[in-house]
Amino acid sequence: MDKSTEMHELRERLELIESMIQEGRRKTESWGWTFLLWGAAYFVAIFWASWGNGSLSMWGHNAVAWPVTMIVAAALTTLIGIRMDSGHPHTTLGRAAISLWIAVGVSMILIFPALATSGRLDVHLFVALVGTMLGTANGASALMLKWKIQFGCAVVWWAISVAACFVSDAQLTVLFLLALFLCQIVFGVYAMTREARRRKLGAAHA
Amino acid sequence: MPELPELNPVIHGKLRLALLSLLSTVEEAEFTWLRTRTGSTDGNLGAQLAKLEEAGYVTLEKRFVQRKPQTLYRMTETGRAALAEYVRALKTLLGEAMESGA
Repeated sequence: MDKSTEMHELRERLELIESMIQEGRRKTESWGWTFLLWGAAYFVAIFWASWGNGSLSMWGHNAVAWPVTMIVAAALTTLIGIRMDSGHPHTTLGRAAISLWIAVGVSMILIFPALATSGRLDVHLFVALVGTMLGTANGASALMLKWKIQFGCAVVWWAISVAACFVSDAQLTVLFLLALFLCQIVFGVYAMTREARRRKLGAAHA
Repeated sequence: MPELPELNPVIHGKLRLALLSLLSTVEEAEFTWLRTRTGSTDGNLGAQLAKLEEAGYVTLEKRFVQRKPQTLYRMTETGRAALAEYVRALKTLLGEAMESGA
């Protein structure tokens, strides 16, 4: 083999390593749907709870609305998550982000029923806690993934959690619904569009 | 003049090099994911992965997810070190070739 052929082959190998590393790092995880699902679940719970009240309020009179909606949403997240995740490899960063969200989810599942059954949960405390936890999870995830838009969602949630201590019940419901719409529905659709675009890029060949 | 490094023949194969490069970016990868990413056939991919496993560069784990069998591959520390050494050798050779004007 002459020298130029040999060099061409060596260059080809180096390019192959670079392209495969790029391919492996390409994000294949698809989690935008969870934002959309949970956003929809909160909306369903609030509207269901308010059904027949005449006005929109966080708790309303329907005691089963929140627990039923949250249990169904958690079950759907687990089932769809297992199905979509199957066969996709995890990066350390991806696993860290997923672990963070699972931990936040478990915290919510434990604290809210406990506060509700002990009679210590009111609308302000609920929104302040939800805002703090979602702010923390979105903020940490945004810093890990270097995702500015998600950090914007974290800021919105932190602002809502602070506002929850000062505004009226009616104002709080409107603010909470607005934050849900922006940070769960709009952000979820945006994340899903971004993931779909990445998937379309296709596979490299060795 | 320093002696030029030799390229590890186990890693030098195109598909094996692609596989190790891919596995270096993830914690573990499923057979089908590796097949999609490399565009390889089942037979060829299985054979090359077996060679890498034989060399101690990857380990495999078989498990069932939703009653479907899955084969997961992980890069070992030996594999990681061998790939790093291969890249170093490759760069040295390319640098040498450029210096000699090829």
